[in-house]
Amino acid sequence: MIKALRWIVLVLAVLILNLPVIATLVTSFKSSAELSVNPGLWISAPTLENYLGVLQVTDRLNIYGYLANSFIASAIGSVLAILLAFPAAYALARGGFGQKLLMPAVVNLRAVPLIIFAIPLYMMYQWVGLLDTQLGLGLILTIVNLPLALIILVNAILEVPIELDEAARIDGASTWAIMMRVIRPVVRSALMTALIFGFITAWNEFLFGLMMTTNHAVPMTVGASFFFAASGGGIQWGLASAVMIVGALPPSVLGMLMYRRISGSLTTGAIKG
Amino acid sequence: MRAAEKTGVTRAEKLRRREWRGLVSPMVLFLLVFLGFPTVVDVVYSLSRVDFQNLRAPQLAGFENYGAVLSDPTFWAAAWFSLRFGVITAAAECLIGLFLAIFLSPLIAKRSALMAPLMLPLMVAPAMVGLMYRLVLNEFAGPVPYYLYMIFGNSPAFLDADTAFWTLCVVEALQWTPFAFLLFYAAYQAIPEEARQAAQLDGASSWQMLTLIELPLMAPTIAVAVFIRFIDGFRVFDNVYTLVGAGPGGVTQSLSIYIYKAFFEQGTIGKAIAASILLFLTSFAVLAGLSWLAARRREART
Repeated sequence: MIKALRWIVLVLAVLILNLPVIATLVTSFKSSAELSVNPGLWISAPTLENYLGVLQVTDRLNIYGYLANSFIASAIGSVLAILLAFPAAYALARGGFGQKLLMPAVVNLRAVPLIIFAIPLYMMYQWVGLLDTQLGLGLILTIVNLPLALIILVNAILEVPIELDEAARIDGASTWAIMMRVIRPVVRSALMTALIFGFITAWNEFLFGLMMTTNHAVPMTVGASFFFAASGGGIQWGLASAVMIVGALPPSVLGMLMYRRISGSLTTGAIKG
Repeated sequence: MRAAEKTGVTRAEKLRRREWRGLVSPMVLFLLVFLGFPTVVDVVYSLSRVDFQNLRAPQLAGFENYGAVLSDPTFWAAAWFSLRFGVITAAAECLIGLFLAIFLSPLIAKRSALMAPLMLPLMVAPAMVGLMYRLVLNEFAGPVPYYLYMIFGNSPAFLDADTAFWTLCVVEALQWTPFAFLLFYAAYQAIPEEARQAAQLDGASSWQMLTLIELPLMAPTIAVAVFIRFIDGFRVFDNVYTLVGAGPGGVTQSLSIYIYKAFFEQGTIGKAIAASILLFLTSFAVLAGLSWLAARRREART
């Protein structure tokens, strides 16, 4: 009896929490004729016409450009964050270096509203010509990703027995060699988690995409809102839904494939941070 | 002999320290360029008279900008919006998340794949979710008004001056309840079985078990979740901006949106930056206060 109740609550929670995604997915398979008489959550004549429309390049919408920008900026933002955080995490975990100041400073960065850095960064980018570039957006996404990458990697390295380092050092390995050949293979799974989580976070970022790009480097989240704004009052909801589904698909698929890793890293990130 | 050994050790130690420093320095350098420099610019410009014409040659002007911000009723309205929004959404997310984590844990402990659909909202960009709700709540194309008309013969306006705040709270809470749920589920699973068995031997009812054993053990996690969700709600931008912008008459203007608009739409750079600094000081004060509290609790325990 209570078990049935638990199942009912679970199904209801899944449906309500995912209502926007479900409604958008359903609408994306409806023709505009059907949508005008049936805005409900079932489809009587499913069609792919919206997706075919989205994949066509028009002057109002070039989805390939948005997707490419998001992909490149997110790749920079997640890979560079790992490249910077991994050596630092090794030094923090093993050398006890910067435990007092650096670690808390970076960790607390997550609680700081990043918009306060946005205006000086905008001016700085204007001076050095990084405004509206994929690289410029990627560098900012690196900042967004650094705190969690550092927390995940420090915790992973702390779990590696220090005897491994000591044995390698007795064999005459340098610090760099120990980091790359002893530690890196052992924490590969944590590196992977930090990379994927960083990629998803970067893909879903909106504020800096909105401020730092106008034309050439517009990411998917901002592109989708441009598409809405350009439509004025006469939004074609089927087409708009297909745009949103295509834009939300990469992080959702990654996230669903890796949900176990991600739930783990969200929890460590919050508790250990 | 001994002295030689000693200097040998310190030399190796020195070398080691230099190596550690070398490993940390790329990240530190990056942070200095991308956060340190902007912070300095923030402080200087907040005390200067700047506009888009003399961007590189700001004139020091004392606390003028701060005065302008602090006497701007829109700023206080935005601060009040952010505070209310942060408190209400954090409370709602943590209460629902706690209930789901405890009530559903027997199901999920056996089939962890059930976690995946509950986590899906966390994977979708908040900005995208804001856009999706434009569809969901649309008078003509949205399923929610459609079903409300069908069942009740009427559907409220979700995004007018009176209702927009609450609609946004629901939108935010529905997206982030899974985050609280995840933390609480992990904490609930981590409660040692002995604690439960001991309580059972003492004849505790399941309600007593929950309130006297389980919830106190989960308290640190609950505090962390409330804090994280409050901060995120307090600085909200994406979903509010894509769903309603500043809202009818600016009723849904959060502090982040206030800063964005002051800079990009009104071009009042000094004001925007002064507001940024105030936001920074506020979040710093909250953080410092919390770590002070945490340190005091740790002291009290030892």
